[in-house]
Amino acid sequence: MSPAFLLQLAGSAVAVGALVATAAWAKIAKPAPPLDDARARALLAAEFPGRTLDGLWVATDGVGALAKSGGLALVLCQVGDGWAARQIPWAQAMAASFRNGRLSVDLADVAAPRAVLTFPAWPPTDLAA
Amino acid sequence: MIKPPFDPVTLATPFFILTVIAEIVLARFGWAKARYETKDTAASLLMGLGSTVAGVLTGGAVAAATLWVWSHRLFDIPMTAVWAWVAVFLLEDLTYYWFHRISHERRIWWVSHVNHHSSQHYNLSTALRQTWTGALNGSFALWLILAWLGFPPAMIAIQKGISLVYQYWIHTEAIKKTPRWFEAVFNTPSHHRVHHARNAVYLDRNYAGILIVWDRLFGTFQAELDEEPCRYGLVKNLATFNLLRVAFHEWIAMAGDVVRHPRHALGYVLGPPGWSHDGSRETSTMIKAAAAPGALKLAPAEREAA
Repeated sequence: MSPAFLLQLAGSAVAVGALVATAAWAKIAKPAPPLDDARARALLAAEFPGRTLDGLWVATDGVGALAKSGGLALVLCQVGDGWAARQIPWAQAMAASFRNGRLSVDLADVAAPRAVLTFPAWPPTDLAA
Repeated sequence: MIKPPFDPVTLATPFFILTVIAEIVLARFGWAKARYETKDTAASLLMGLGSTVAGVLTGGAVAAATLWVWSHRLFDIPMTAVWAWVAVFLLEDLTYYWFHRISHERRIWWVSHVNHHSSQHYNLSTALRQTWTGALNGSFALWLILAWLGFPPAMIAIQKGISLVYQYWIHTEAIKKTPRWFEAVFNTPSHHRVHHARNAVYLDRNYAGILIVWDRLFGTFQAELDEEPCRYGLVKNLATFNLLRVAFHEWIAMAGDVVRHPRHALGYVLGPPGWSHDGSRETSTMIKAAAAPGALKLAPAEREAA
């Protein structure tokens, strides 16, 4: 790599920093109010069309949700001001580690490695047998 | 004839920086429509920065291949002739259309191109969210046809740069529609919003670089619909801003599929994104079919069995 390229690269890195700072200053991300039941259902319906929900648990901090749909767990988690969703076997969700009110769900996906959801208890107390 | 006298992308870099700032400031004061999220913006811009480094590392091999093919050219095309520039404009844009189409329709090329689509935002910083691995899967070979025809490598490089700069400004929600004649002929912010959307009706549409006429000609055009606002990102969005995961996640996923299912390796490499040997995943075609009016609302495996 030539010195001229390295200089150009350094200048570009400074510009990247300035642009990110400008974006942070502007505060123009999409509004992302904490999830409620209706919003979680709407997002899950968009992500998993045709799936019926047997149960839905919205994280207490409103940045995620987990639903049971047959033998699957549908997991929704906030990413920046957007959302990512994955489906995993229900048994995998049931076996997820739960400590200090935080459920850490292994999503087994390199693009979505883990979802951390805050719940009062896990497994949920209102889960039908 | 070999080294371009100028690089349109380098020349346009100050314009890129100033217009991103302008878009943010205009949106901040409510004078334009744009959304920026800090981590997403950082990921997009750092992917762009990394792609310039990757370009330097792989550029020598691409240039050498182009020069070798050009040395076996069919015709001597002069770089000074106006007709030659008109021809390279049209042929490079047609080449880009097919490059872009296979980049979406075959996983071995999607593994690189997916990076450009992984933001849930659509703004000028998204335009700079470029792959680090574009040269690794050999898509540059499509442009070798132009060198074989006789277009000088410098001419091809300049036209590719012009195309890239053109495609920058269309990554915005600030411009709703351009005049009807322009929308009919050229790729526009409206057409390209469709391309970046994950709504079923918009998947695998509008592959154009500069001229939207290729999509109209080859049956891949979809107009932006007022009743279907664009939702941006991937069918399965990333749940991380980790740059290494952003850059390599689909390469790793493809390699994992090949290792787990070696008998179906060709399908996982050369099939469309979302293809699986047991029908447990969904391709764009399956998603579009399921979302079509009157389609049965079934899970992927159920659809496969139906």
